[in-house]
Amino acid sequence: MPLKSIYRAPWFVKAVFVISFFLIFFVAGVTYKNMSDLSDSSDLVTEKYEVAIELEQILSYLKDAETGQRGFVIIKDSTYLEPYFSGRENINNSLAELKELIKDEPEQGQNLIELNFLIDNCLANLEQVQRFILKEQNNINSPAFEPLFARGKKIMDQIRAKIKVMLDVQNKKLEINQKEYENNLKVTPIFLYLLMLLSLLLLIGAYFKIISNLKKLEASNQALELFKESANQSEIVSKHGNWTWNIEKDTFSFSDNLYRLLGEEPHSFAPTIANFMKFVHPEDLEKLSAQVEEMKENENLPFIYYRVIHKNGTIKHLKAYGKVVVSGENRRNLLGTTTDITDEIESFRALEKRNLELERNNKELSAFNHVASHDLQEPLRKIQTFLSRLEDKEEDNLSESGLKYMSRIKNAATRMRLLIDDLLQFSRTNKADKVFEVSNINLLLEGAKQDLAEVIARENATINADAFPVINVIPFQIQQLFANLIGNSLKYKSEDRTPEINITYEMVKTESEKLLTNATADSYHKIEFKDNGIGFDNEYAERIFVLFNRLHNKDEYTGTGIGLSICKKIIENHQGFIFANGETGVGATFTIYIPVV
Amino acid sequence: MNEDYIHIVLADDDEDDRLFFTDAFEELKITTKVQTYNDGVYLMDYLNSEDAILPNVLFLDLNMPRKNGMECLKEIKANEKFADIAIAIYSTSASEEDIENTFIHGANIYIKKPDNFKKLKKALSEVVTINWQYHTSGLNKDNFLLRL
Amino acid sequence: MKLFVKFDFNAVCTKVLTEKLDALDVKYNLLGFGEVELLEKLSSEKYAAFTNALSEYNIEIVENQKSILVQKIKDTIIDMVFNEETIVNVKTSAYLADTLEHSYGYLSNLFSEVTYTSIENFIILQKIEYTKQLIIEGNLSLTEIAFQLNYSSVAHLSTQFKNTTGITPSAFQRIITKRREIQQNN
Repeated sequence: MPLKSIYRAPWFVKAVFVISFFLIFFVAGVTYKNMSDLSDSSDLVTEKYEVAIELEQILSYLKDAETGQRGFVIIKDSTYLEPYFSGRENINNSLAELKELIKDEPEQGQNLIELNFLIDNCLANLEQVQRFILKEQNNINSPAFEPLFARGKKIMDQIRAKIKVMLDVQNKKLEINQKEYENNLKVTPIFLYLLMLLSLLLLIGAYFKIISNLKKLEASNQALELFKESANQSEIVSKHGNWTWNIEKDTFSFSDNLYRLLGEEPHSFAPTIANFMKFVHPEDLEKLSAQVEEMKENENLPFIYYRVIHKNGTIKHLKAYGKVVVSGENRRNLLGTTTDITDEIESFRALEKRNLELERNNKELSAFNHVASHDLQEPLRKIQTFLSRLEDKEEDNLSESGLKYMSRIKNAATRMRLLIDDLLQFSRTNKADKVFEVSNINLLLEGAKQDLAEVIARENATINADAFPVINVIPFQIQQLFANLIGNSLKYKSEDRTPEINITYEMVKTESEKLLTNATADSYHKIEFKDNGIGFDNEYAERIFVLFNRLHNKDEYTGTGIGLSICKKIIENHQGFIFANGETGVGATFTIYIPVV
Repeated sequence: MNEDYIHIVLADDDEDDRLFFTDAFEELKITTKVQTYNDGVYLMDYLNSEDAILPNVLFLDLNMPRKNGMECLKEIKANEKFADIAIAIYSTSASEEDIENTFIHGANIYIKKPDNFKKLKKALSEVVTINWQYHTSGLNKDNFLLRL
Repeated sequence: MKLFVKFDFNAVCTKVLTEKLDALDVKYNLLGFGEVELLEKLSSEKYAAFTNALSEYNIEIVENQKSILVQKIKDTIIDMVFNEETIVNVKTSAYLADTLEHSYGYLSNLFSEVTYTSIENFIILQKIEYTKQLIIEGNLSLTEIAFQLNYSSVAHLSTQFKNTTGITPSAFQRIITKRREIQQNN
């Protein structure tokens, strides 16, 4: 659509006006030319009539002179010669006039010279006749007179003929001129009419173009108005304001909300930097002024933070950003945005305070843990060591009940030791500095088996394991997890059969695992520990992971109820999940999910 | 063994632990001479004195007032004079961090104080005999690490 | 700057011994395994000077016959462990009995009596010592080391390493690496 695209082109209106201007200029030129042609034609007509009049006059003067002379010949009264004398003078005047009229036409000039010669001849002949009359005393019948007279007539005829020629020439010229003029008159109006029509069309096009542009302008003006309103609203909601600083003229404009940020009604004071600075916190004044100066010079500066004080004394924290925008002929404007970040700062401070409290709590907790586990160990160790010494040295001196008491003390101390060790381990599992490493899980399982080598050998247990890939984990914790789970299986073994633990590995998609309801990752490493021990009632599947929770009386099975809590903690540290599933008398299955990263 | 006795020094602020320690060596068959110091400052004063007989094995408790075991360890390792002393850490703590850290800073042996006198005797005996092997059998002392 | 050197204990001792014996200006035969046969009698002054010279290197003249035999047992074991060709096929008890021309039971009892440790333990200690050296050199993987030292599996070597030193091979390697870093920074 080339036409359409031309019509849409931004230079269209300009082009139309330029073209129309030239068209009208052209039309004016052509019209001028026609007018001047017309006046030329009428000049020619006038000239022709003048020439004709002069020629007729010359002829009439000549006739007068001839007539007078004839009268003189007949009457012999010299008063008849009067026209002859005056005629000569008048003829000369007319000739001069003629000469002036036809000075541009060489053909007529030649004719005029010939005419002049003929007139001279005629006049000379008239004079000869005259002289002849005076000399011969009116002897008209003399043979000499006759040829003279005849010659006079002949010359006269020649003059008439010449005049006629001259008049013809003039007529012809006029005729040609007239024809040309008529031709012009026929073509020019159509041409001019078409030209005018064309420029009219162009102007109509331009008119529609301008109208449509105006409409668009109006529409975008409306959109702009709407946008301005929404910007206004968003400024209010997001607590920010805008300002523009024309650096050359040193004038400002503030958006409505900028006033509100200062706690004032919109446009309640003149937008100048001095007025603005009145609100700035005195401590920030110097810094802000320096930064504003800098904004004028440099682009892309970092955010400026400062405080303002409202008239009612409230202190607000503002964050500002300014950028120099150069528009048009080097007009530099500093465009700025200012945001009220008081809420952010306050919530940040609250968060900081909470964090500090939490940190302190954590420190206290870890100090408590340290005391509870580390410092408690020392006296307990001594109790146990002294007990062992007592047992070695004084066993023989004790009564039976004394021995029984000692054995009870020993058991209590051992249990206390177990509790402390497990607590210590649990608190270590809680510690924040966990370092994830891409680890060979097979080696970690091997390590766990080594840790439990004694009991595995004693129970003659079989442990079958799939091959594991490397996984990003906290290595010592995973080893701990494996050791705890294997240890758990061996502890709750069935008396009827040798323990067997099957450890399987599989990489699974989250959606295919019905146990994973709160999963965040797409896929998980699934490790399953399945034993053939005493199992448990599934009713307790959740409870066994709770700290200090035990399903069995401590006389039946030793243990603190911390081991599986540690497992849960470790798995939580890995953003994973652990589930237990048991069947009394058949065995237990622990399923672990560690996210694939 | 070819020397008259093995010279052993212990720095520990806990009286009971010093007692267990000396008792254990008394009951062992190995001829030893055991000296004990109540904290790191006393220990370093002794080691730095001119007439000090440098021990074959030095046992350091980690948790001591004034100067703790780790500080002693660093001081000793920084002094060429003490290069021949095998250093055993003798502590209540068995945290992996403590163990690895003391090894890294030059300790040769790490003993978690046992909760049973028999175990203590066994551990100390093991330390002494293995140290003796390192002393007499051309083993590389730089690689001597033992955890009990 | 710190340098780490690896040395052959036997070669160094032999060199020192040769130097000192040459200085004595006596005729002698080196019999290997730390045994020297002197072909002429030494004056007591020369003997004292020789003892003194050796003590600088912590080398002692072992006078006791039992101690001599124990030292021979140790040297034989060290040689066996560190000599990679023999270790693969030889049964240690037979090898020791053959080499030292005593019954293994006698050697074993003697060794325990003098050193408070068993020959078996000493062999393990030496094997672990060799393992440590190989780990530090870093040219072989643990699997390769286990194969070279005639262990049935890596797990076996790891377990024995842990039982002997209380730490795992990887912890050992980590500790030695970090220790050297600290030394290099000082």
